[in-house]
Amino acid sequence: MKRTEAPPRYPVYVPKVSRIWWLRTGPFRRFAAREITSMFAAIFSVGMLLFLFALSRGRAAYDGFLHWLKLPWVIALSAVILGAVLYHTATWFRLTTRIIVIRLGGRTVPTVVIAAGLVAALLGASALVAYFHIWF
Amino acid sequence: MADPTMTLKVARYRPEHRPKPYFDEYEVPYREDMVVLDALNYIKDELDGSLAYRWSCRMGVCGSCGMMVNYKPRLTCSTFLREFYPKHVVVEPLENFPIIRDLVIDMSDFMEKLRTVKPWIIRTDEHSVDEGEYLQPPEQVDRYKQFSMCINCMLCYAACPVYAKDQEFIGPAALALAYRYNLDTRDQGQDERQQIVAVDWGIWDCTFVGECSVVCPKDVDPAAAIQRSKVAATTKSMMSMLLPFGVEREED
Repeated sequence: MKRTEAPPRYPVYVPKVSRIWWLRTGPFRRFAAREITSMFAAIFSVGMLLFLFALSRGRAAYDGFLHWLKLPWVIALSAVILGAVLYHTATWFRLTTRIIVIRLGGRTVPTVVIAAGLVAALLGASALVAYFHIWF
Repeated sequence: MADPTMTLKVARYRPEHRPKPYFDEYEVPYREDMVVLDALNYIKDELDGSLAYRWSCRMGVCGSCGMMVNYKPRLTCSTFLREFYPKHVVVEPLENFPIIRDLVIDMSDFMEKLRTVKPWIIRTDEHSVDEGEYLQPPEQVDRYKQFSMCINCMLCYAACPVYAKDQEFIGPAALALAYRYNLDTRDQGQDERQQIVAVDWGIWDCTFVGECSVVCPKDVDPAAAIQRSKVAATTKSMMSMLLPFGVEREED
């Protein structure tokens, strides 16, 4: 929608917005961190696709991929990705509790319960992955 | 001992004297029960009658006296000097708006955006007066009451970096009010309003920085209202995709 301005009966001053506005205050920096860490989730997804691609090309390619995963710099990168994705997840869990409103029997479910449900779902999914990883 | 004083650095914009804004410093008497607006009134009465700013009720209801106080959007009538004493206070006009004079901003854009979201009850079937008012039980009032507390002070627009960068954005207060009327069981204008707000420059422009809700003096939480509008819009479009015959369709 177009910006509406009063008829120019008088000169107005329009301040400029800095390109690095997102570094200006603590909340803006935290917002930028939240958005930037989402890129690490994308990088992780690319890793998963490479993993599936290696798997589809047979045993040798799969073993080669596993060897690549154990290189020190890849382990270091994985640690960074894990940290960033966990941070991103935490920020989204926090935001989700502010958005989701669940009504049960005329009462609103407390946000603590929703947050606990989200954490339980994350832990449950992680346990499931760990279970398949160990047993298969 | 001399009575305590405090320094106010006040942004001035007087285009007939200087083309750009600048700061003037004033020394005002300090008392524990003084708010920033009291200090501005002291300046205008005693030190410099040329200072221009808006104010009215002095009790956090009218929403006129919003300014940047030490770089944060605040109602100056509810911001005590003691929060900053003995340091100085910087008072500037609300960010993200064109400045008309000193601390007075041009609010035309906000007023127009507020009007476009149709913040009133829309009825498709209007009752006659004889049938009485549209009744509503308290639990239905509770659903939207928080979002109806907006005083149009525009602090949320000053706090919003999305509005700063993209001034086509409808903005926090107007979108929160649209949501307030969509939640009202007496209202029948959801579809009409949705076409206005569920657009690129409406709810989808918001990136959920969340500062609008932090600065809101009435705890309206516009950020939550906008995200919930996104959920409602998405649910509705998913439902129309999954249940093509379950929702109203336009005539072929």
